Amino acid sequence: MTDSNLTRRTLLRYGAYGAGAAALAGTAASWDRLTGSDIPGRDDGSLTVATLGPAYGPEAIRTLTEGFRNVHPDIKLRINAVQAVDWSDFFAKILTQIAAGTAPDLVYVATEGVQLFAKSLGVPLDHYVRRDAAELKEYFADVHPSLVESMMYEGRLYQLPVEFNAADMYLNRQVLQRAGADFPAPDWTRDDFTALLRGMKKSSGSQFTPYFWTNRLWGGVVPWLFAGGTNLLTESKAPGGAWLWDSFYPAAEREGRGGGFRWTTPQATDDRVEEAYDYLASLIQEGLCTRPEGGNGQNLVGVFSTGRVGVTPAGGFWAGGLHLAGMKADAFDVQYFPRWRTQRHQFGAAGYALLRTSRKQDEAWEFIKYAARRDTLMRLFDTNQTTPARRSMLTAGRYEESGPRHWQVFYDTLDKFPDTGPIPAPPQVAEVTEVLLKYTGTALASPRSVRPALRRMQGDLEKAMERDV
Amino acid sequence: MTNTQTVSPARPLTRPVAAPRPSRRDRGTRLLATLFLAPTVVGIVVFTVVPIVGSVVLSLFHWNVIDSPSFAGTANYREVFTDSTVRVSFLNTLVFMVFAVAAQLLIALSLALTLNGRMPTWLRSVFRSAFFFPLVLSAASISVVMKYLFNQDFGVVNWLIGLVGISPVPWLTSEHAALATVIIVYVWQQFGFSFLLFIGGLNNIPKEVHEAASLDGATGLRKHLHVTLPLLSPTLLVATVVGVINALQVFEQPYVLTNGGPGDSTRTVVMVIYETAFEQLRFGEASAVGVLLFVLIMAVTALQFRLSRRFVHYQ
Repeated sequence: MTDSNLTRRTLLRYGAYGAGAAALAGTAASWDRLTGSDIPGRDDGSLTVATLGPAYGPEAIRTLTEGFRNVHPDIKLRINAVQAVDWSDFFAKILTQIAAGTAPDLVYVATEGVQLFAKSLGVPLDHYVRRDAAELKEYFADVHPSLVESMMYEGRLYQLPVEFNAADMYLNRQVLQRAGADFPAPDWTRDDFTALLRGMKKSSGSQFTPYFWTNRLWGGVVPWLFAGGTNLLTESKAPGGAWLWDSFYPAAEREGRGGGFRWTTPQATDDRVEEAYDYLASLIQEGLCTRPEGGNGQNLVGVFSTGRVGVTPAGGFWAGGLHLAGMKADAFDVQYFPRWRTQRHQFGAAGYALLRTSRKQDEAWEFIKYAARRDTLMRLFDTNQTTPARRSMLTAGRYEESGPRHWQVFYDTLDKFPDTGPIPAPPQVAEVTEVLLKYTGTALASPRSVRPALRRMQGDLEKAMERDV
Repeated sequence: MTNTQTVSPARPLTRPVAAPRPSRRDRGTRLLATLFLAPTVVGIVVFTVVPIVGSVVLSLFHWNVIDSPSFAGTANYREVFTDSTVRVSFLNTLVFMVFAVAAQLLIALSLALTLNGRMPTWLRSVFRSAFFFPLVLSAASISVVMKYLFNQDFGVVNWLIGLVGISPVPWLTSEHAALATVIIVYVWQQFGFSFLLFIGGLNNIPKEVHEAASLDGATGLRKHLHVTLPLLSPTLLVATVVGVINALQVFEQPYVLTNGGPGDSTRTVVMVIYETAFEQLRFGEASAVGVLLFVLIMAVTALQFRLSRRFVHYQ
């Protein structure tokens, strides 16, 4: 049995503990929230730019930092290359930094995240662009309006695109030769494509798969939806943006432009969507195409360069990748995506987004302009790891060593197919992508799985789009 | 006439004596002990207690990182209970746990018993190192390599089975095969831990017990079932508890190998927590799933300890 009598000394001691705890709680409650930037040495007054690590190696970072220091010696710049496997992973890490109170001033954002950042975190660049219109005339004259439009949200511009990649078709010339097939014409059709895959299959061994694709938002099912004249979500354009088009683009190029894309109602059960999935399922059944593999296609370079794959969709970024893998310039080539109902292509672009939380917005704008300059991009993109947004940078000299021979396809995709547009990436992009990837895997398990999987996809997409981000 | 005596209520013979006041030396010892314990206690509070309490609190709020949290009551739990993906992920995780832990223990125990037999010391060392080695590698790196090996079209595994005339298996792209493949990769990496525990446990069994059993005529499997296993049961309990907790928290292997697919067939609870929080910015819901997982782990562990009273024999 315990003694319940409290001595005066004990009472006083517990009283003191209580008072101490209350004092600590009071101090904690009245103190401003501590964040990562309160750690000594973290916030050194630099303009912080977060970039996607794998795309920006140490050499690129040095190029950007030194070049910017030469132009703006008064602005201290720190580039934080965030290591991530894809854009979704990259955005997750940036948001974690924001939650930790160490938000960067600028974030390199691709189409996948343009609207997410614009809606919740971004600062529109409109007043800066208007102010520095004279300086930017040369930039806009060099950049296709479709790329600029993809960086707009509800009538306002949030980023200046510096690179893009449209999903064109890469073909292995050795495999074409083995199949006795000619390089396809620019207006080749889906039937030509299927026939080519069959020819390739017939002339190669069992360890060969004619068509390889990766299950993701960019370059997965979506190019087939575009070619089939449909989309995952209904697409329209927001009003506005006239201030930009009227200031920088001639009448012919500004026709039909608006204030950015809107992706709203899910249409996974649309007949055309189902038809696209049926087509891919039939290719899989026939052994002409890989099953939808998740991830970022890490092993694709290896299997394509060694002739175990004949065709795959990719953008200008792949020219540099194949060259680095040891593929000769004439060993592969690129052609437009085949025509089905349309020959509309899909693309993704990227640029720097200015965050609302930044206390150095003017300095950040100077960096955005610097990063979009031709000389900066020439130094940054010298190995063809992407397609520069500036048309003037795509020259024969650039692709002479790495290939492909038909390098003009990269930019002509935008010019020759004016309806070419960005991948559907509303502010709810993370959930939409997750649903798309999940049910694409299920739908293509067998031909009979397509319809039930698309019905479930529709339900989940509707739920995702109802959420406010 | 009787003498009546008034009996007073029982009263202690002596007044309660207050504990003697600790001497100055005792107080010094206590202070020293407190100081030594303080870093551990602070560590546990900061890195375990606070995050657990924080998760429970956060599960009652809507929070997307960007805006301030808003109180949601039990809305996150209601959302989680009606979400088919969450339900499937719990089912996948339980199935994964059962098969992965069973396979892990069975393989580790078989190998430990084999290695405990007669064998040159150097060979035993080679095997021990080889079995333990995968455990020191990063799960993500192993999964990347395994993804290449198990690729349906270009993987080495299908190439090898193709040599004996078996058609390519969709290891990672079929709803039926994917979870099994993830279990294979997980067990290959993890069984080394249980193996090491069993080796230690087997070495602690006195030789005399085995000799006595042999004299009584016990041999082979019978000796293992009636002598080795009962004496190894405390180690078996530890290996099972740790194995179950680890398996219920599996993330890296399914994330890298299949990203939860095809469909939801390999999506685990921790993957759902990651995706809900860091990709969809629904931290409240993610915390609610985390709390449910915490409760599940506690319940399964408690059940294991409860059952252990019957099956575990301490020497």
